[in-house]
Amino acid sequence: MVKIKYLIVALLIVMVGISATFLFFPSEEKKVKKRFALLSEHMSKDSGENTFIMANKIKGISALFGENCNFTVSDYSLSGNYTREEISGIALRGRAHFSTLVLKFYDLKGSFPEKDLAQVNLIARLTGKSVYGEHVDETHELICLLKKVEKKWLFSSLEVIEVLKR
Amino acid sequence: MEPTYRSRGVNFCWRLRYLFSKPTRHDVVVVRFAGSKVMLLKRVVGLEGEQVEFRDGKLFVNGNPLEEPYVRHPCNWNLSPRKVDNHCVYVVGDNRSMPIENHYFGQTSMERIMGEPLW
Repeated sequence: MVKIKYLIVALLIVMVGISATFLFFPSEEKKVKKRFALLSEHMSKDSGENTFIMANKIKGISALFGENCNFTVSDYSLSGNYTREEISGIALRGRAHFSTLVLKFYDLKGSFPEKDLAQVNLIARLTGKSVYGEHVDETHELICLLKKVEKKWLFSSLEVIEVLKR
Repeated sequence: MEPTYRSRGVNFCWRLRYLFSKPTRHDVVVVRFAGSKVMLLKRVVGLEGEQVEFRDGKLFVNGNPLEEPYVRHPCNWNLSPRKVDNHCVYVVGDNRSMPIENHYFGQTSMERIMGEPLW
């Protein structure tokens, strides 16, 4: 009876250990997905957002990108290499067009083509209301590259797939 | 695609439609727009190698006006001539009541054509 008791306790300890490992040492894929969750959180905007929250969110967005990031977003004439500071400015101006904004990512499929490089194919949906009262609902397919710099996954490339080319 | 198809309606797609044939002009096709779930219904107006343009809302293919009885809402779109690349088709929606910049249309790869709507 005592042996069974010890066995149960040992099993519980092993299970707690495994759970803690998954919780405190997430896989690289989870770490990459977390970056998208953060980008979604920082890009989203509630009505009546104050300056302090806005500044914090812009700082948060900036921290998700590498020193340079390549954008290919032909619909918005956004193509080329942008520095972290330029990205902050783009995010600031972009968010200023909206009174409410929700950015969500779906169907994230990640792979690691090289060491410290992650490629993620995903769908991004942007919904919200412009400051002029127009409803916005856009969905796009994206390919993103993230590089691991000092144990952090940072966006290094973002391309919106052009399905319909005028 | 209004009034031919209701916006955000439920439609079934016949995936085998273009297994052995290519889309032809005036076909309504299902275009895979994002991932495997976001689809658009569009009408094929230009085929590979053809030149497509809009002049005051009228669609011209290879310089000839195209009869489009399915377009109910007149528009004043203007788009300079452009050639459809190989292995691509040019698709436009039937509802052209909105400004040209607000309408999803253009050249798309044949690989993005998933089939045709069943009804």
